[in-house]
Amino acid sequence: MPSRRRALLKVIILGDSGYVNKKFSNQYKATIGADFLTKEVQFEDRLFTLQIWDTAGQERFQSLGVAFYRGADCCVLVYDVNVMKSFDNLNNWREEFLIQASPSDPENFPFVVIGNKIDVDGGNSRVVSEKKARAWCASKGNIPYIETSAKEGINIEDAFQVIAKNALKTGEEEEIIYLPDTIDVGSSSQQRSSGCEC
Amino acid sequence: MREAEYHDLSDDADYAASSQQGSSLVARTDSSKRSSLHEPGVAEILYSMDNVAMHPTRYASERIRGRLKLIRQGNSILMTWIPYKGQSSNGRFSEEDKNLYSIRAVPFTDIRSIRRHTPTLGWQYVIVVMQSGLAFPPLYFYNGGVKQFLATIKQHVFLMRSAEDANVFLVNDFHNPLQKEEGQQGGNEVGQQKTCHTEKPKITLVYSRRKNKGREREREAREERNGYKEDEGGRMFPFQVLHPQLVWLMNYPLMMITQRMLLIKSFASSFRENVSQRRKHHDPAQDLSIQVLEKFSLVTRFARDTTAQIFRDGRVGERKRDQSSPEHHPSRFEDSEKVPEVPVSPDRLEKTSSRKQSSGEEAATDVGMFELINFKEFDKLSLVWGKPRQPPLGHEEWITFLDIEGRIVDSEALRKRIFYGGMEHNMRKEIWRFLLGCHSYDSTYAEREYLVSVKKSEYEILKRQWQSISAEQAKRFTKFRERKGLIDKDVVRTDRSLSFYDGDDNSNVYLLRDILLTYSFYNFDLGYCQGMSDLLSPIVYVMRDESESFWCFVSLMERLGPNFNRDQSGMHSQLFALSKLVELLDSPLHNYFQQNDCLNYFFCFRWILIQFKREFEYEKTMRLWEVLWTHYLSEHLHLYVCVAILKRCRSKIIGEQMDFDSLLKYINELSGHIDLDAILRDAEALCICAGENGTACIPPGTPPSLPIEDASIYHQPDADIL
Ligand SMILES: Nc1nc2c(ncn2[C@@H]2O[C@H](COP(=O)(O)OP(=O)(O)OP(=O)(O)O)[C@@H](O)[C@H]2O)c(=O)[nH]1
Ligand SMILES: [Mg+2]
Repeated sequence: MPSRRRALLKVIILGDSGYVNKKFSNQYKATIGADFLTKEVQFEDRLFTLQIWDTAGQERFQSLGVAFYRGADCCVLVYDVNVMKSFDNLNNWREEFLIQASPSDPENFPFVVIGNKIDVDGGNSRVVSEKKARAWCASKGNIPYIETSAKEGINIEDAFQVIAKNALKTGEEEEIIYLPDTIDVGSSSQQRSSGCEC
Repeated sequence: MREAEYHDLSDDADYAASSQQGSSLVARTDSSKRSSLHEPGVAEILYSMDNVAMHPTRYASERIRGRLKLIRQGNSILMTWIPYKGQSSNGRFSEEDKNLYSIRAVPFTDIRSIRRHTPTLGWQYVIVVMQSGLAFPPLYFYNGGVKQFLATIKQHVFLMRSAEDANVFLVNDFHNPLQKEEGQQGGNEVGQQKTCHTEKPKITLVYSRRKNKGREREREAREERNGYKEDEGGRMFPFQVLHPQLVWLMNYPLMMITQRMLLIKSFASSFRENVSQRRKHHDPAQDLSIQVLEKFSLVTRFARDTTAQIFRDGRVGERKRDQSSPEHHPSRFEDSEKVPEVPVSPDRLEKTSSRKQSSGEEAATDVGMFELINFKEFDKLSLVWGKPRQPPLGHEEWITFLDIEGRIVDSEALRKRIFYGGMEHNMRKEIWRFLLGCHSYDSTYAEREYLVSVKKSEYEILKRQWQSISAEQAKRFTKFRERKGLIDKDVVRTDRSLSFYDGDDNSNVYLLRDILLTYSFYNFDLGYCQGMSDLLSPIVYVMRDESESFWCFVSLMERLGPNFNRDQSGMHSQLFALSKLVELLDSPLHNYFQQNDCLNYFFCFRWILIQFKREFEYEKTMRLWEVLWTHYLSEHLHLYVCVAILKRCRSKIIGEQMDFDSLLKYINELSGHIDLDAILRDAEALCICAGENGTACIPPGTPPSLPIEDASIYHQPDADIL
């Protein structure tokens, strides 16, 4: 039963507009409202469906967030390594999410940070170093960090793995590092699934 | 409702009065008295149910409650429904009005079928259809008892379940040879029935009015001679020249569902020998409206209210006695176009579009009465009942709307025409400018030409404002850079699958960018917002001219700009209006949304923000937009489109118990799977049904209505300029 309950994981992707990966959003279009993408991920011999919500990136639409963030299992913050402002905004996105989604245990809510578009100009136009990004992630409670290029398909599968793992919070070591409170996790995903299984 | 007992006498008085009209006399009987006597002249009450109501309007206070009875008198079984006297204090219905609805001693030999409705939500009701095809308005059983009602009938009358529909019970079905044996006991009555029935036609398949006219005329001539209607199967049916108003209604496919009723009604009046006699008591227009109302009520309860209004507004003259009776109107088709007050009168185009109807429409008109009796398709059809879509407006027809100097003589007619059919693609460049308000309808060719050139230079000036910003200056102009960056990112994500916009270095993509950037200077407060590129794309695609596209976009944004307000007020007011409309037009769905925390209607956000741009393929989007832009029935037709789509999905939404997440996903995934024509017809019908009540759901100033206070609307804190 627990495996069934967790088969569907709701993941929210946030970040300034235009930096996420089209493989995430699938449609080559600016997101209006929220787009969905489902992705099957195998993790520890089990198959999970990631229900990925890509919400509109323009700040103007943020008031919609509250409706969309409800019941999220994981929040993915994406920035463009070539645009400083998109990195600076990560904190805003994170806080906005915590306020609007108001998860039961905000300290331990699973985030993942993705630095995207590492391919651009062979990495020469990069303005945010990996070190800087990792430092920020560490300061926010050891948020897992991964760098990708949607265009070149670099680390995309890995990114999904990390997302799935964090959404599940079942990884042994990670559990010790990131998620001391497993009881809470179980109950929150149970709560969610009750809405989804019917 | 025990006090109903006090009205017993009135009940009986009416009853007695009605019996004078009929052939037999019915003696008074106390409802408590159970007589086993079968003597003629003594009536026995077999069934009596209080609180059985008709709903002439959607208002609970204006329902007419009464008592339904089954009575045996001699060998006849009669049904009566008599309104309570003096029950409604609101004054909407006078006693006289209520009497008009009374069902007085209808013998079951005259009843063809009874349809039972036992919805899980709401009251049970039955519809009693006469042999003539006439149907009484639905009878709602507030205290239940439909089952008992049917069971009682079954004890005394031959009742058979329709093979087609388990909810339809055929009474004395004379198609069934068994009927005569199994039917009513008592020689006289059976004998009577027999003769009666053999004189009557067997089955009625009313063929479409839209068939080959020449052939139809021939047939009509023959039918008129014979007094019977023919159909392909060679069956006959008594026939009368249709009332021109009926013809109007038939040509008014918005009332498609009612058409069947009307056809039936028209047959009904000639069906009986005592037709003229009856007319004295039943004004035909009155009957007609009841039938129409009745039919509408199957779709939505309050629809009847609206129909009543249509009639009341003088279109058919609901309560005006002595109004034109069918016989006074000799011509059937020609006259139909002259009915002046008709909201949607038949067009010349309707003739040409005759064969293009959807199959649903065909089914509805072709099978007429048969349909009614079986009701089989009803639920399916119930939402496809707006006017059939017409072929798009083409050039030849377009020029007929223009006078010699290029003015549009009758803009209302033009808007109506476009509302029902849209236009051919090559007409869009010219006509969209009128719909959007760039050109006024009464402008001449010369005036428009002049305006275009003036506007062109005006555009150039606006464009130069940002073009003149040097790279150096831009470094110190963050807002500009950010805004431009956002636009750059969006134009390359806008309709790139279209060949018009695809490929690298596509000049049309630059066109989008330049226009959007210029617009963000033209309306700096509003700036650029995601979704705008979606709105602009079809305009550029149609106009193929930078300045003209720009001004069309400006006009469009005058109405839709509030969709992009920083505080989302424009969107919220529309979503709010939508929730009110759903509450009005589909309260169970509304309740469902309420219970499932979906009342914010964010799942319709994309629909409204960019006017369904992502929901339909490109051509269909343009079609929808030009229809919406006509503002023909409502400025807010788009909200009725939302309701129409939701209504079509309601059983799935409720059936699968979707929560907000799955609902949003489901709605998003409807994209590309919505039948535009059908939805437009639904939306039209819903809009008309909702009438004033619908308008009342939409607060003034709700986009795309022009804002009430122009000035304040964009003046919002400029926290994020993007
Ligand atoms: N070079 C490069 N371009 C990318 C990469 N990922 C995304 N893009 C481009 O960036 C643009 C925006 O991508 P989206 O995924 O639509 O952006 P988004 O963040 O979802 O934007 P919103 O929907 O507006 O919130 C697109 O044109 C993509 O092709 C990448 O890794 N490398
Ligand atoms: Mg997106």
